[in-house]
Amino acid sequence: MKRKKQRMISGIMFMVIIIAAPLVFIFSKKSIFSAEENRPLAKMPGLSFSAIADKRYMNDMARYLSDNFPGRIKWVKSKMLMDRMVGRSVINDIYLGDDMLIERLKEPDYPEVARSVNAIGNYASHYHTKTYFMLAPTSAGIYEDKLPGSAPQLDQKKFIDETVSSMKSGVDVINIYDTLRPLKDEYIYYRTDHHWTSLGAYYAYRQASSMLGFSPIDLDKFQVETVSKDFGGTFYKKCFYDGVKKDSIDIYTYPEGSKVLEVAVNDGGETSSADDIYFRDYLKGSDKYCVFLGNNRAYTGIRTDNNNKKRILVIKDSYANSFVPFLVNHYQQIDVIDLRYIKNSIKDYVDPNSYDQTLFLYNASTFAEDTNVKTAGFF
Amino acid sequence: MVFSSLIFIYFFLPIVLVSYYLTPRKYKNIVLLLSGLFFYAWGEPVYVLMMLFTTAVDYTAGRVIDRYDSIQKIRRLALIGSIVINLGILFVFKYSGFAAGIIGLDMSPLPLPVGISFYTFQSMSYTIDMYMRKIKVQKSFVSYAAYVTLFPQIVAGPIVRYEDVQNEIDSRSINSVMLGEGVGIFIKGLVKKVILANNIGMLWTEIKALNYGELSAATAWLGILAFTFQIYYDFSGYSDMAVGLGKMLGFNFPENFRHPYISRSISEFWRRWHITLGSWFKSYVYIPLGGNRHGMAKTLRNLVVVWALTGLWHGASWNFIVWGLYFGVLIIAERLFLGKVLAKVNPIISTVYTFLLVVIGWVFFDTDTIGDAFRYLGAMFGGGNGLFDSMAWFDIKNYAVLFLMCAIGSTELIHNLTVSVYRSRRHGRLFVGLVPVMQAGLMIVCTAFLVDASYNPFLYFRF
Repeated sequence: MKRKKQRMISGIMFMVIIIAAPLVFIFSKKSIFSAEENRPLAKMPGLSFSAIADKRYMNDMARYLSDNFPGRIKWVKSKMLMDRMVGRSVINDIYLGDDMLIERLKEPDYPEVARSVNAIGNYASHYHTKTYFMLAPTSAGIYEDKLPGSAPQLDQKKFIDETVSSMKSGVDVINIYDTLRPLKDEYIYYRTDHHWTSLGAYYAYRQASSMLGFSPIDLDKFQVETVSKDFGGTFYKKCFYDGVKKDSIDIYTYPEGSKVLEVAVNDGGETSSADDIYFRDYLKGSDKYCVFLGNNRAYTGIRTDNNNKKRILVIKDSYANSFVPFLVNHYQQIDVIDLRYIKNSIKDYVDPNSYDQTLFLYNASTFAEDTNVKTAGFF
Repeated sequence: MVFSSLIFIYFFLPIVLVSYYLTPRKYKNIVLLLSGLFFYAWGEPVYVLMMLFTTAVDYTAGRVIDRYDSIQKIRRLALIGSIVINLGILFVFKYSGFAAGIIGLDMSPLPLPVGISFYTFQSMSYTIDMYMRKIKVQKSFVSYAAYVTLFPQIVAGPIVRYEDVQNEIDSRSINSVMLGEGVGIFIKGLVKKVILANNIGMLWTEIKALNYGELSAATAWLGILAFTFQIYYDFSGYSDMAVGLGKMLGFNFPENFRHPYISRSISEFWRRWHITLGSWFKSYVYIPLGGNRHGMAKTLRNLVVVWALTGLWHGASWNFIVWGLYFGVLIIAERLFLGKVLAKVNPIISTVYTFLLVVIGWVFFDTDTIGDAFRYLGAMFGGGNGLFDSMAWFDIKNYAVLFLMCAIGSTELIHNLTVSVYRSRRHGRLFVGLVPVMQAGLMIVCTAFLVDASYNPFLYFRF
């Protein structure tokens, strides 16, 4: 009798839940972009015979429904909270470390790394431009001591050492691991994001200066402007862990230094010009690191009022975005290429022979799996 | 479509249940058939036609066997025709690549239609039982097709024989008590799949991908134990969901799992694990071969055949054959002498014996090659990177709670507790209100896990 009554209540409860949820779905407002994930959300798929036959329609429909599930991010956050409650200290490959979020490093794609190294060597011997290579550690390579107890982690320093030692002799390696490592108690990496801070980038710039041939500006000559104090970066958005303090973003400017005259940007279409190397609109959004040079794109050209005629080409990933502002004081022209956004050849944008120097600047984590670096060696 | 998905629970199921309940009794099977076809076509938009073809073949064979009841020749022809077509299709899709490999041809295997191993066996049970005169013919194609395409069981079992539902397919009672009972079983299955299996499976996925030569014994054991629980909760969870959905629709499907990991012998394990498959092979292979009634030599032969086929049913590879024969050998040993020993020893010893042998069996089941299986076993017994390392410690800390939940769930503890609370006069009343609340809570937790699976930060993470 008791059991019968309970079952009837259970049945009603279940029907109410499974009928209410789709009704809420139908009447809820759908968004087209997820700031947390930095990706567009799936749209309602169009119906066609071929889309059904190859299951595209079904997969897209399932994605549309789950991407637009009412209160989606709240569900995700509560799931991650439950993960932590049962003792998980790694969520979505992010270690919940000691006041810092740290990525779990993936096994490098060694054949791809060899192709990348080879391409940079070929670039150096093919073009008349002095070529430099800087492989920056990420926080995972510097802060093993902040990992949750006995968490396994790959040895990033070993990867950096092996990679740069396999570089051909025509490429000058700028070693910054040994520069940054002793400074680990300073705020050189974001706690919640995969990038280095402006301060970290400054130390890399200071180390690079002697090889690139200019004298660096002292740290205390810069004006530091804190443009954000609540930056929850990419790592934060992977685990939504609030136990680590949010980051602040600083912009370093040298008032007596060179002025930026023109910023040209091109992402595969027409070249247009931007106001500044800092894109402050992004500070209002979620991906605040984009304040440095804006979103990643194929080509960025910076012309300064420095008339030393020096020209440098930076081929890079996003680590360079906060590094390049420091170069402004020492070059007349700084051109920046992101190979991931180039469809055919870098020669559609620049002539490598026209630069005094080329700097390849990557972080070790990207470089371990980036499949686009090799295109620098396609002539 | 899988049961443990948002689209099934919050879109397919409400539409089907509401229309099913609102449809007059006479037409309910049409709703079942349409929903089954839609469900299957969602995963196999092309092969749904092949499934319908198989269904039509077996339906026709059944009619022929019934019509020519006195002409043995025709009856036999209809049976053989049905078996050849069923097994022929199964062979082409599931085993041709493997068979070609054995004779030295290189043939890329065909994509395996979802659930083919299940619905083929289900549908075949009908013609064989028709031939053996165990069941009455089904004259309505809609009803027969509704049985084959019954969405709760078409893709992953339990293997519901026609015999099991022959009465219910034509007349069944559908009521709110059965709905509620089904809800309870469905949510139990959902929890098993979404909370336990999927999460403990993450640990196995990680460890399985490592180099087995570098695993410490502790890590290797953690990995295979994780798989041990993953496959149990995955499979039994799916069966529970199927049984629960069946009840919501007015069907009583056979039980498929009964706490297998507390078995005290391998023979008992197989009476508790994937029960409907074991009984299918018993009814349609072991007994027709003579079972155990023709002397020890034939009995052993029949056991070897059944266990090789059981292995092969799980997949076309040597690993599955070895896995099946491994159990065949153990069961033969138990039949010959071990069984008597196990019956006498302390139940803890026989339970541990069974569990360890089953766990070792899973190594063969889920590694890619026989060589990998032995390398993995080597690591489990200290042949890799020593006995213990920091990775094992980290995994223990991260998964301890989940392992504990999995272990408790494998026993009869929760079941016994529920029964005794219901029986007790004082707490029983409380349960009437508490159980639905707990069920709703679990459903919400499962929903969070399902929504999380769609969370995909930074498709272009590095960019």
